[in-house]
Amino acid sequence: MKNLSLSTRMILVLTLITIMSGAILAGWDLYTKPKVEYHREQALQAAIADVLPPYDHYDVLNTEQGYLYVGKEKDSTASVGLAFMAIGSGFQGEVRIMVGYDPDKRQLTGIKVLEQIETPGLGTKIVTDPSNKNDPLWWSAQFEGVAVEPEIVVIKNAKPVNDYEIQGITGATISSKAVVRIINDRLDVVQDLINQAGGHK
Amino acid sequence: MTYFLLFFSAAIVNNFVLSYFLGICPFVGVSKKISSAVSMGMAVTFVMLISAVVTWLIYHMILVPFHVEILEYVSFILVIASLVQLVEMFIRKVSKPLYDTLGIYLPLITTNCAILGLALFSVLREYAFLESVVFALGAGAGFTLALVIMAGIREELALAPVPRHFQGAGITMIVAGALALAFMGFAGMI
Amino acid sequence: MAKPVSLKAEFVKGLWNENPVMASLLGLCPTLAVTNAAVNGLAMGLATTFVLLTSTLMISTMRNLVPHQVRIAGYIVIIATFVTVADRFLAAFFPEISATLGPYIPLIVVNCLILGRQEAFSSRNPVGRSLVDSLGMGLGFIMVLIVLGSIREILGSGSIFGVTVLGDWFSPWMVMILPPGAFLTLGILIALVNWINSRRIAA
Repeated sequence: MKNLSLSTRMILVLTLITIMSGAILAGWDLYTKPKVEYHREQALQAAIADVLPPYDHYDVLNTEQGYLYVGKEKDSTASVGLAFMAIGSGFQGEVRIMVGYDPDKRQLTGIKVLEQIETPGLGTKIVTDPSNKNDPLWWSAQFEGVAVEPEIVVIKNAKPVNDYEIQGITGATISSKAVVRIINDRLDVVQDLINQAGGHK
Repeated sequence: MTYFLLFFSAAIVNNFVLSYFLGICPFVGVSKKISSAVSMGMAVTFVMLISAVVTWLIYHMILVPFHVEILEYVSFILVIASLVQLVEMFIRKVSKPLYDTLGIYLPLITTNCAILGLALFSVLREYAFLESVVFALGAGAGFTLALVIMAGIREELALAPVPRHFQGAGITMIVAGALALAFMGFAGMI
Repeated sequence: MAKPVSLKAEFVKGLWNENPVMASLLGLCPTLAVTNAAVNGLAMGLATTFVLLTSTLMISTMRNLVPHQVRIAGYIVIIATFVTVADRFLAAFFPEISATLGPYIPLIVVNCLILGRQEAFSSRNPVGRSLVDSLGMGLGFIMVLIVLGSIREILGSGSIFGVTVLGDWFSPWMVMILPPGAFLTLGILIALVNWINSRRIAA
């Protein structure tokens, strides 16, 4: 190897390193990909269970507007509600929220923020609020039973009065409003789907 | 309006240096004089802008279509390292005065986490092309701002009686902490 | 090499005298970013040490092969490869930690600590010696991350490694788990280390 010219050696060594790197990564990709996807699937199921009332199983509807997860009772006819993913931009970047919705009562059954990159300590209170020791999840818990008509509204610095109101987070108004806007936008789409399908299922 | 928010957020509210800790090494090393802080900031912003464009194209035109996202980190860092080299050669050819100002900072930029961090954040947040360009500009502006403010404070600090054990890195960290606190005030603004 | 250094000395130097964070101020970005809880610091430290050891193994094995002109390019490809391995490992087996640390795991690629060790040590020393040096540096890095993470977690959330240690009487100092807390804690820690060092020299 020493008696090769410098440029040949440079090319040889870099090629060797690249091939090794490619081989290691290709093998590792094959091995880990199913595991990563398994965790993603688990997280999805856990999120659906979180936002819907207790159900026996759920059906997955693949619509043009994305997936809907319909929670079903044991006899498989009555639905307890449907869950769907709402994605939009928050203050910092994309926020992904799993939303549970009861089309009969026209109210939400719960939400869970799955991914967000809001400001640590402020915007992240949309997920957990460590300053509220008794109930760190108070913010997202408000969405259980909130009415979706006329639309969900964030109010600042006050307790909610009407059943469609959500209390905003001090210092993170944009993040709170963003979550509600993302949910409202997605609800419109889902409600249209339900109406087209001729009422609820 | 969203572009403005994105810029503002990256530059001020979620300042790359003071709230994401990206680009701390030059922040500690090159922030002793305002003039060198400005040059470093310009060099970083410039490389950020170019690498944001190139890494966006690589990720969305090559890695995703061929399902080789696992090569993301390897390809990004290679692109950034070669870009820095290219930019250095280009500036040396085109403008001698510019090279004299920015030249010595360029080699440091390859291992500046702010550049790679920018590319990674753009992918993670699924920014569209224009968004990542605005994000790069905002992040660069924020980096420059933090560096210049810090340099201004350190120039004054050179004359102040800092406790012996805090001299050097210690007091720099404390000042950075105070700055980060100040910048957090912007978060409630929106 | 000018004078022979014992293997033990190569190992121990990374822990205190040449500690990557405290003495050389390397790898500050992850040090500050992920230490809002002790467990995050530990995970980050382990991931970094893994990358450091594996790249050291490769680079010191190939040290006589790689032409000087392309060494940096070669190093960063090797480092980035092992960072990807570590990143995927966390995503596959510890999804929660992977989600918390997010982009800071890939940022190990540009951790000056790793490239610095390859450039300064592994590229000119035999494999065994290089591994010992990297292990010392890695442990020194982990140590700092855990200390920093523990201090910030205790003061910022009243717990350590997720176990509550301070009772309800304690109202957490939110600022400690926020970015300013990272800078302040590290600043004070650096001053403390300077103080201890000056006492050791005096003694």
